[in-house]
Amino acid sequence: MKRVYAKEELCLNCRLCEVYCKTAHSHSKDIVTAYKKEEPAPSARLRVSGDNHLSVAINCRHCENPKCVEACITGAMTKDKATGIVYVNESKCIGCMSCLAVCPFGCIQTGSFAVKCDLCRETGEPACVKNCPNRALVYTALGGEQE
Amino acid sequence: MKYCIIGASAAGLACAESIRQADKSGEITVFTKESSLPYSRPSISYYLKGAVGSTEMLLHPAAYYRAKGITILTDTAVTAIDREHKVLRAGRKSYPYDKLCLCTGSKPFVPPVKNAAGKANALTFLEIATVKKIKAKAGKNTRAVVIGAGLIGMKAAEGLSKICKSVDVVELAEFILPSILDKSAAKLVKAHVEASSNIRFHLGNTVAEAKSKGTHITGVRLGSGEELPCDLLVLAVGVRPETSLAEAAGLAVERGIVTDAATMQTDDSDIYAAGDCALSLDMLDSQKKIIALWGNAVKQGKTAGFHMAGAPQQAGGAYAVNAIDFFGCRICTCGLIHADAAPYTSKVQQAGGSYKKLVFCGEHLVGFVLVGASDNAGIYTSLIENQVDITTLQGDLMDTPHIFLFEKAVRQQRLKGEESA
Ligand SMILES: Cc1cc2nc3c(=O)[nH]c(=O)nc-3n(C[C@H](O)[C@H](O)[C@H](O)COP(=O)(O)OP(=O)(O)OC[C@H]3O[C@@H](n4cnc5c(N)ncnc54)[C@H](O)[C@@H]3O)c2cc1C
Ligand code: SF4
Ligand code: SF4
Repeated sequence: MKRVYAKEELCLNCRLCEVYCKTAHSHSKDIVTAYKKEEPAPSARLRVSGDNHLSVAINCRHCENPKCVEACITGAMTKDKATGIVYVNESKCIGCMSCLAVCPFGCIQTGSFAVKCDLCRETGEPACVKNCPNRALVYTALGGEQE
Repeated sequence: MKYCIIGASAAGLACAESIRQADKSGEITVFTKESSLPYSRPSISYYLKGAVGSTEMLLHPAAYYRAKGITILTDTAVTAIDREHKVLRAGRKSYPYDKLCLCTGSKPFVPPVKNAAGKANALTFLEIATVKKIKAKAGKNTRAVVIGAGLIGMKAAEGLSKICKSVDVVELAEFILPSILDKSAAKLVKAHVEASSNIRFHLGNTVAEAKSKGTHITGVRLGSGEELPCDLLVLAVGVRPETSLAEAAGLAVERGIVTDAATMQTDDSDIYAAGDCALSLDMLDSQKKIIALWGNAVKQGKTAGFHMAGAPQQAGGAYAVNAIDFFGCRICTCGLIHADAAPYTSKVQQAGGSYKKLVFCGEHLVGFVLVGASDNAGIYTSLIENQVDITTLQGDLMDTPHIFLFEKAVRQQRLKGEESA
């Protein structure tokens, strides 16, 4: 399946991926409204780790055998058979964060439900990749080896 | 091939799904004495407080099982296993099996409380059917008493707190959540719960006797002599493995059903056991114990299912990992947390409302307790599960764990989605 691969050599720590991710997962889809007005406040599904010296964007690997799905105590976290996308059914999720406790890569964030990357499954085009100014994020099926 | 599974919860369902993945045509029958299709047992307290409805609690809709060819027989208690003829009895009905898995889970451990047995408002906290009764009895004038401040008691108290006037929790131990917290963390969580709710604790105490009027409990007397009014008594001291069928059938049973950890096979090669009813082998201290947690039940159910269908997969090691939230106080724990004496060492960091304890055995992380500090906790879990030599890591492990703990080659692998060993 196609995944988002991050390259630390190219990451500028500008965090634009976070900004566009948060906007893409907002109600309004408008940057200013998403950041200043929306209730409940939307959150970015990926996070840049590190500092100006060395940084990289961390987002879900949509694992083949996802530990988060195995650990989910409600059936809210599932891997879509057809697309391979691992995502949360927000109406089932109780926000216990059992999934966060086992994701080996630190890809889940706390909230009233588990907050994680869904590969922008509604639009089919990850907003982080589209808006990274330095191509530090690529969306490919090739394991990130190739641009 | 006829597969039978007793118990349709975490382990039973994972077992059925794994069998179906490996064997497209075998007949799969799952028995449950409950009336509901498989549901999220840990969600019953969320149902009680109204955070989820009974439909959302179902793990799958009925159509899912039809599509998978998995038959779930609800309201069907298996009463005996006839190993000689390889047949299950459920009342007067018989069901032949080729491969059988026992996923009978836990039963409530009911503490002896004088005058409480059989009373209409004394209930356990394990099944959705009982929780529906609790929900029907609880209201804004209800004064509830919960016996037990373990995981289940605390969840019951939290669920009740939202809908009752008061909740008194009585616990024999000196601190709350003794199986997942150490003393300092427990103190912190207790203070938070008391400050954020109508829950009051009576620690180092017991309920000695219930006062009643007819079939109704009206109050309780504690071991300390104190008396509390009580309109609803929830018995949540703990659970024990449900092993009665296995024992009656002559299978090896210690604290739980004895299995081979790599296959979940019992001492009868056609019978397997998985989940809360089975003994686990903790990979961190090599002790056989009951790890009564959802994720562990799922893992064991999968291991059993694939093996039953003749498509064995490598089983990962067992260990405890748990996450919960009480009134905004997030708790996340894993592995060995009470390991305070040699060969174990620990590091503690406490600041404001947060607490972090990491437990080490030599160069390996073997456990953690995180209160209000769960960010990226899964990275710690991964260090524990893969027994990573922590001297190969860069930076301070007490900080929020992140990818730059790892050297470049490992980072590159992790960015691709490969955990390093
Ligand atoms: C209130 C509560 C909160 C919890 N919270 C958490 C949590 O946050 N995280 C976590 O990891 N775990 C939690 N747990 C524990 C978790 O629910 C269990 O570990 C898990 O359900 C075990 O699954 P299982 O399949 O082994 O057995 P169970 O879920 O116990 O299911 C066993 C099933 O078998 C049926 N059965 C037994 N005998 C027979 C028979 N003879 N015939 C037919 N059917 C039979 C039972 O009726 C039951 O339906 C919680 C438990 C409770 C009660
Ligand atoms: S959240 Fe973590 S465990 Fe789950 S699929 Fe993504 S990377 Fe894998
Ligand atoms: S937080 Fe939600 S998705 Fe994660 S384990 Fe709990 S119920 Fe499942």
